[in-house]
Amino acid sequence: MKKDYQQYFWQHILPRTEKPTRYLGNEVNAIVKDHQQAAMRVVLAFPDLYEIGMSHLGLKILYHIINQEEHWLAERVFMPAPDAEELLREASFPLCSLETVTPLADFDLVGFTLQYELSYATILQMLTLANIPLTAADRGEQAPLVVGGGPGAFNPEPLADFFDFFLLGDAEEALPQILTLLTENKAAPRSEKLRLLAMITGVYVPSLYQEKRSTSGEYLGTVPITEDLPTRVQRAVVANLDQAPYPTEFIVPYGGIVHDRLVLELFRGCTRGCRFCQAGIIYRPVRERKVETLKELARQMVHATGYEEMALSSLSSGDYSAIEQLVRELGIDLAQAGVSLSLPSLRLDSFSSDLAEQVQRVRKSGLTFAPEAGTQRLRDVINKNITEEDLLQAVQEAFAAGWTGVKLYFMLGLPTETDEDLLGIAELARKVVNVYKNSGGRGRLRVTVSTAVFVPKAHTPFQWVGQISQQEMLRRQALLKQALRIPGVHFQYHDAQTSMLEAAIARGGRELVPVISRAADLGCKLDGWDEHFSYEHWEQAFRENGLEVANCAQKDYTEQEPLPWDHLEAGVSKRYLRREYQHALAGEVTGDCREGCLGCGMTLLLPEEEKGVCTRADLD
Amino acid sequence: MRIWIKFTKEQPLRFLSHLDLMRLWQRAIRRARLPVVYSQGFNPHPKMSFAAALPVGVTSEAEYLDVHFDKEITDVDINSLQSVLPNGLTIYGWRPVPTGTAALMALVGAHKWQTSLESVSAVQGRIEQLLQDTELWVERQSKKGVKVVNLRPYIYQLKAAAATNSLEMFLASGSAGGAKPREVLALLELQSHSDVRCTETFLKVNDFLQSPLAVFLEEKEVSVNAKEDYYQL
Repeated sequence: MKKDYQQYFWQHILPRTEKPTRYLGNEVNAIVKDHQQAAMRVVLAFPDLYEIGMSHLGLKILYHIINQEEHWLAERVFMPAPDAEELLREASFPLCSLETVTPLADFDLVGFTLQYELSYATILQMLTLANIPLTAADRGEQAPLVVGGGPGAFNPEPLADFFDFFLLGDAEEALPQILTLLTENKAAPRSEKLRLLAMITGVYVPSLYQEKRSTSGEYLGTVPITEDLPTRVQRAVVANLDQAPYPTEFIVPYGGIVHDRLVLELFRGCTRGCRFCQAGIIYRPVRERKVETLKELARQMVHATGYEEMALSSLSSGDYSAIEQLVRELGIDLAQAGVSLSLPSLRLDSFSSDLAEQVQRVRKSGLTFAPEAGTQRLRDVINKNITEEDLLQAVQEAFAAGWTGVKLYFMLGLPTETDEDLLGIAELARKVVNVYKNSGGRGRLRVTVSTAVFVPKAHTPFQWVGQISQQEMLRRQALLKQALRIPGVHFQYHDAQTSMLEAAIARGGRELVPVISRAADLGCKLDGWDEHFSYEHWEQAFRENGLEVANCAQKDYTEQEPLPWDHLEAGVSKRYLRREYQHALAGEVTGDCREGCLGCGMTLLLPEEEKGVCTRADLD
Repeated sequence: MRIWIKFTKEQPLRFLSHLDLMRLWQRAIRRARLPVVYSQGFNPHPKMSFAAALPVGVTSEAEYLDVHFDKEITDVDINSLQSVLPNGLTIYGWRPVPTGTAALMALVGAHKWQTSLESVSAVQGRIEQLLQDTELWVERQSKKGVKVVNLRPYIYQLKAAAATNSLEMFLASGSAGGAKPREVLALLELQSHSDVRCTETFLKVNDFLQSPLAVFLEEKEVSVNAKEDYYQL
């Protein structure tokens, strides 16, 4: 039967797709194993197109962790583009994995990555295309377990009914435990498996937890249905990243993908503590790989793939403790192999033209910096500890080194933002232009100011704050647009409606389950793509369930009330977040936690011998 | 050292575009740790090119790559290159080439194509009729608009073989003009055929056509090697 799927797909569907390389599989380093011999069969599902999903490091890590075990197999599947989706529906052909063209329903485990809220409807579309029942409750004993992981797992309640379980935290730590347990209990009934899974650190089984409400319907928290279950689910943490597995045999796609290059993860976590940043919380603490480890990984990666470019990747790569040494030594190794090095996420205060010179030998077209806010006051509020001097010095160095383009990222609608802060953005842009002129810069300068609308996220100091209204977004965008009429400055901004929808889902609870389900019914999918996004359909889905996108997005939580994600523990205490929020409102900055442990609570999730920068035993 | 490599492009790689295939070769050569020569200039690129751009969806047993290496190449190197190529790319042969020889792309003059037929007799009449015509005008869509081209001089041979139930098309190609297999299939009212295969690529040497691995090369000169198969126009 398996052969038949493959044959049919290859003969009748693949040749008719717009871009067959999306569905070909068979790429260099793709792993094909025999399903008959495998004790555990996992399909890793990315709810977006191939070229997006294949650019994602997490997918490569998971693929590697699973496939390195001889008796486990992992394959991949992505959301088909509309043309291919149509062909599948027309032929009643189920969504299949790339490697062996096996229907998703024939796997033991289907794992979705939850990278962004706008992919949630796509997950339901993929389940539908795979003929897997949408809700966990409707899945029979034969159906695969459906698991979700990634940042979205830290507030998964809007998806609670669609998933059998969620994985919070590092897969390097939890996934082998999960798969071992499932391998050993293959014959156990589904309910039994879920009970056992719920005991693994990092696993959240939403069906074993329920919302508690007061008689007046007020939300009182989400609690386990029986006493033997943990009341709070702790995140899984890989304490020693240097010894954690890392994929060196990247799959080499045929067609171009968004980030078509090798990615070397220097460290996980970030010590800066920007108050809007969820990644800065849920990936704590900072854990580095050693220079020697990285150099060896780089060598193997180049040899195994033949890629011509390698990017150093981390939340803030310039903060790597031995960045100068690494870039110098790696640069020499890679240059010998004809591979260029890029460093996409440099902070302003760690920028030096020497470093930039080393990593961008070929192209000098663009550099990106993220001041995030236009005035020092607002940068203090968000704890983005960089100054105007940092920015102007960084661009001066860049211009002196020959760059003629710089992109500046800002957020619009941050808590406490005033028009003065917005005008500060224009002021900064003007100063950057002046630096260029004064440095004797010749040729045309291009300063791109790019703004995204602030989306408050769970597990951050701003988790209590609602988003600004759509009307306000449009007014502020217009104000900024007017102020940015400066020669040489180009202004880009994000669509207000997608930002609203993101905010509405990001801090929502189980009341959103029927909304997402309805949105998928109405055809919502690939919402991250302008050409597929239909705000009207989302609005309708909210409204039919008695909700409004705007209200959900703008909702303020009080500091006392229980939050829909309080039973899920990222490692940073709520007390710490609350205090950070107070500091924000007072305009007080908090230091870098490499320079002194701030007692955020993360230390409690770490074993004694791997505390790293989390040195304080007393918690603040 | 400059070499020409003859290779196949089989299922599942038939869907790869020209650009995809170039990227694939560049990465494979790097995996095999063979040093390619880079062009000089502001934006250096590896000195590699194909004989021709195979249409997407078509398989081939006679693709050619023209590549300059920074070292002497031996069969050992070619074997290690083969070992890192994906399923569907097989190296059939290779030869050293003088650096002064023109680019492979500039020398190509014809291709042989093959496609399977449901019934040979049904097509036979149409072939004969086509070959009797002295002019076969077709429309060709280009970036600049629609152009009308006479395909007849580019059709060297059309042969339906009953034994194999297949059609063989011997068509001119290259910079001096040519016919595409799909254009000829359309003239034969076989446009729905999807299994087109290239069976050989020929260089045009004066009035002769010969395989790139067979021709005689010396300094800048390309001449026919009389000891190997060739066609005279």
